[in-house]
Amino acid sequence: MTLTHYAFSSSYFMSFLGLIFYRKHLLSALLCLEAMMLILFISLCLWGLILASTVFSAGPMILLAFSACEASAGLALLVAMARTHGTDRLKNLSLLRC
Amino acid sequence: MVYMTYLLLIGLVLGLAAVASNPSPYFAALGLVTVAGMSCGILVGYGGSFLSLILFLIYLGGMLVVFAYSAALASEPYPEGWGSWPVSTLMLVYVLLVVCVSVFFSGGWFEGSWVTVDEFSEFTLFRGDSGGVALMYSSGGGVLMLGGWVLLLTLFVVLELTRGLSRGTLRAV
Repeated sequence: MTLTHYAFSSSYFMSFLGLIFYRKHLLSALLCLEAMMLILFISLCLWGLILASTVFSAGPMILLAFSACEASAGLALLVAMARTHGTDRLKNLSLLRC
Repeated sequence: MVYMTYLLLIGLVLGLAAVASNPSPYFAALGLVTVAGMSCGILVGYGGSFLSLILFLIYLGGMLVVFAYSAALASEPYPEGWGSWPVSTLMLVYVLLVVCVSVFFSGGWFEGSWVTVDEFSEFTLFRGDSGGVALMYSSGGGVLMLGGWVLLLTLFVVLELTRGLSRGTLRAV
């Protein structure tokens, strides 16, 4: 495995671990999700660039458009959570529930 | 040139460890901005300057600005940076994990090619990555229409999710 390949694979798994072991805020989990999308974008770009076949360079652009959709849906859920619970701390979801 | 790419890759891994250790969202957004900057540098190093420009414009200038504005919803009086005990411990654990796993995969680190894409033809203005993206408009016209339709649909999804007074998709909002 080359250094670039290892760096992107390990950073993808590391941001996945950061998404799994979330701490307090929903927004920091959403930022880890955005980091995963960024690593996917760079990996798809580098795939075509390293193999010198740039026909697939349109693929990462479509990925960027769809990840913008996903980010906006996540942020809409964050806004909804801030409206009902006043904050985006995840412990507030299970606080004071009958 | 190889040293520059090495430094950018190390900066990428450290910046992502800073984001994955889940500090307060202000600092995590800052970490993500530096990670995007490093990865743009890596893309330029491999010859994809147009894709790097697109990443800077759309990702940093569009999506991360929206995340930075949404960080106002995550406000707290004492935001936790990387000086606090749980965050710095997690970051150290992630960096050590990456370093220890690299021992198993460091076999072929000097066998890959660092040649950039546009070194194969000297007298052309046709850059590889720009030409590849231009195919999205010619052969990939259907995917372009689909992407535009999905973006319009997402606008309506966000509208219905945040429509208040129990009139949207969520009864509680």
